[in-house]
Amino acid sequence: MNLADLPNRRNEAWKYSDLRAAVGDALPPLAQAPANAPAAGKLFASLKPIEIVFENGRIAHWPERNVRKASRVLSKQYPGEPRGATPLGAWAAELSPDEWMPIIEAGEDERPVWVRMVGDTSPTSGHARVGLVVGAGRTLNLIETYEGPAVGFTNVLIEGFVAEGATLNRTVIQDASEKAALVSTAQIKLERNGHLSQYVLALGAKLARIETHVNAEGDGAMVTLNGAYLSGAGRHADLTSVIEHKAPGGATRQLIKGVARKGGRGVFQGKIVVERAAQKTDARQHHQGLLLEDGAEIFAKPELMIHADDVQCAHGNTAGGLDERALFYMRSRGIPEAEARALLIEAFLAETIPNGLPEALRDELTGLIRTWLAGARL
Amino acid sequence: MFDVKDLQVTVGGTEIIKGLTLSVPAGETHAIMGPNGSGKSTLAYALSGRDGYEVTGGAAMLAGTDLLALAPEERAAAGLFLSFQYPVEIPGLSAIAFLKAALNAQRKARGLEPMPAPELLKLLRAKAEALKIDQEMLKRPLNVGFSGGEKKRFEALQLAVLEPKFAILDETDSGLDIDALKIVAASVNAARAPDRALLVITHYQRLLDYIKPDRVHVLAKGRIIASGGPELALELEREGYDKYLRAA
Repeated sequence: MNLADLPNRRNEAWKYSDLRAAVGDALPPLAQAPANAPAAGKLFASLKPIEIVFENGRIAHWPERNVRKASRVLSKQYPGEPRGATPLGAWAAELSPDEWMPIIEAGEDERPVWVRMVGDTSPTSGHARVGLVVGAGRTLNLIETYEGPAVGFTNVLIEGFVAEGATLNRTVIQDASEKAALVSTAQIKLERNGHLSQYVLALGAKLARIETHVNAEGDGAMVTLNGAYLSGAGRHADLTSVIEHKAPGGATRQLIKGVARKGGRGVFQGKIVVERAAQKTDARQHHQGLLLEDGAEIFAKPELMIHADDVQCAHGNTAGGLDERALFYMRSRGIPEAEARALLIEAFLAETIPNGLPEALRDELTGLIRTWLAGARL
Repeated sequence: MFDVKDLQVTVGGTEIIKGLTLSVPAGETHAIMGPNGSGKSTLAYALSGRDGYEVTGGAAMLAGTDLLALAPEERAAAGLFLSFQYPVEIPGLSAIAFLKAALNAQRKARGLEPMPAPELLKLLRAKAEALKIDQEMLKRPLNVGFSGGEKKRFEALQLAVLEPKFAILDETDSGLDIDALKIVAASVNAARAPDRALLVITHYQRLLDYIKPDRVHVLAKGRIIASGGPELALELEREGYDKYLRAA
């Protein structure tokens, strides 16, 4: 793979997110295997998560429990999507230098599995790949974090397989540095009555794209795909998704909201495809952007492609500023302007957090939003 | 307690309040009545410091504090409260979180510590119960999906919790059925205190059957053109505003 192979704004799917420009003048060399065991993570202590750690895309720590160590040969038997739904995803699969890929399999233990993608200050390219297998009727609670002072390029592929009546709860916190270029592509297949509930909180990076492809192949597959982005100066946060309903009786609920400051950019691209066979699909998609200052940028491209005739589909997309009436109402009650702004933005974003998340996880997410708002001093 | 002298307010380049003078002493409740477009809501917003309501002349003092020099939140901390004609809906922010933020911001401005959570909850429960507000309503997003009556009752709850020196109640009766009106009126009456002044703004006399004002003022064409006792409200109800509009 060369720098010239990276997508740029001439590619329709990347017209708001120029990855080639963000990576720089040359593609950094591939990351070496980490020398030291990583420090344990500090978040989610009360959830007692099972940690898996990657450093610059290389496997640094995995626990024995609930995680199958698979060789490349085994991975060919992997029941997920054929890899390569996107060029970046295919590269992650091809270029990952590790001898094996971790496959996280849902077991009796429903403690969350926490996949930490940590980047350090070495200018490297990292390609990582993780498999998820949620067997019939099981539940997998997955937390993914993108963290650390990364300066290079990280490219991650998550391949997920959700069997009949199974549930994948995936929470992604993208909190990489302002020097990092990051693309994470998830390809998730849902069988009959399979359920994906996903939440992404994206704080941006030099460029960070969290891309989700859902193949809702089974009847009655349910998808919740919510998210929020907070893009400060010099940051670019991109939430892209493609949901394909291929069988009858499925549903999608997607609520994405975001804020951008001066010099920050937020991108939402959401495509929902309802194939001819997918009658009685009920799909709702909403995006709301909030431009906090002049010079903030939000780009949204919602798309509904409906090939079935007996469906209920709706989408909405708005962008604007903070509600001045609400701001005055709060100030008239004695709440100082900066605090009122922060409360309003928090309220705006908090609506995206799904009700079903564990309290501890909700609190972490709300805490991250609050910390961002406190640092933003709006 | 509350004194306005020769107030002039311009909105979008048009002068709406044209030299208004009004005094409400501590312990008293006054009513401002006036036809649509007379400047009633403009007066309320200008006194609260809303953007776009430009005070071009005059003075407004609350217990010795010059309100016009202050930001809206500072006016609130100085003891001013405006009950909105149309309370604003804020999705995602619970009514209880909003009240907590408001109360503690005002305490902070007065040099007090935030109220401990258990004490705050107890206070809110007691005040809500007095207003027949369901505890569940406090957990709901602020004003979202509240009926007209619930919104006005929640305004009354804020008044009861924040305990201002001076409260302006802008068309508190609009959108209320008779039962809700009685509850809201009772809450306003309960807020009467020797060290507090109230100003009720209304179009109709109906509200004043339940909130007995000490004085009634007629606002027309941006000025107070007549003042009198409670009997003035009854006269207006009987004879309308025409007489005063012609004279103004």
